[in-house]
Amino acid sequence: MKQQSKLNPEQQQQQAAEQQARRQPALEFATAEELLRYDLQHTAVPDGIAQRLQKSAGDLPPRPKPAWWKRLWGGNRS
Amino acid sequence: MLVDEPLSGREGLDSAQTGLAPSEFADLYTEHSRAIYYLALRFLGDPQKAEDATHDVFLKAFRKMDQFRGESSWRTWLYRIAINHCRNLQQSWHDRHLFSNADEAVWENALAGTDSPLRVLETKELGERIQTALDGLPDEYRLLLLLVADAELSYEQVGALTEQSPDAVRGKLHRARKAFAVLFKKSDPLPEHETAIKT
Repeated sequence: MKQQSKLNPEQQQQQAAEQQARRQPALEFATAEELLRYDLQHTAVPDGIAQRLQKSAGDLPPRPKPAWWKRLWGGNRS
Repeated sequence: MLVDEPLSGREGLDSAQTGLAPSEFADLYTEHSRAIYYLALRFLGDPQKAEDATHDVFLKAFRKMDQFRGESSWRTWLYRIAINHCRNLQQSWHDRHLFSNADEAVWENALAGTDSPLRVLETKELGERIQTALDGLPDEYRLLLLLVADAELSYEQVGALTEQSPDAVRGKLHRARKAFAVLFKKSDPLPEHETAIKT
């Protein structure tokens, strides 16, 4: 019995993809940071972070107004 | 407005796609979130923790935006917050084993969504190897490599972020590259098809 018949369609697809990946020419990088740069470019930021940030930023209490003397003299004086 | 540096040359998503309301802060997030998330992901080695860390770093930045004086670039300012945050997290965690707690699905979601299934498979495998190799490095080397991998940072900026001279960065980087190359090669399950680093 052929081995493929034991695999479900999803496994067969994965196996085919792996076999095709092995036939691809190897990637070559001059340095570690070049490889990391490639990895960075293929890394997606999860969408959830921006949504959480939007909510978290909205939940922050309003900033207190500067003291009257700071408003009068400007905020840069210490 | 307190922001002096123009937020130009953005990459990736525009602010409308991030889900944040259009603002200077949304622009900041759009431009730098990938770099910060990547640093957190590869430094901490856990997508969920990296997601939390990225959220916390940008929230901190949001609260302190009015304290930014333009003495450094936005990127290095955010990196400084991120490095401190990740180091603090690391000190309080003992679960440094990278794949034991990581949810496989979260790793898959961390890959760029537009890639083909084949590319996703390759990139996932490559990402796992990179993470394994990085995890074998001392923290200092790992951080240096991740910072130098950001093409926007000079050795001077990396030195300032890691509190050492640019020459010290160069020296340590040389050793970090060699150590990484050895670990990366070791992590290859199929040496005859390896993704190679020349040095």
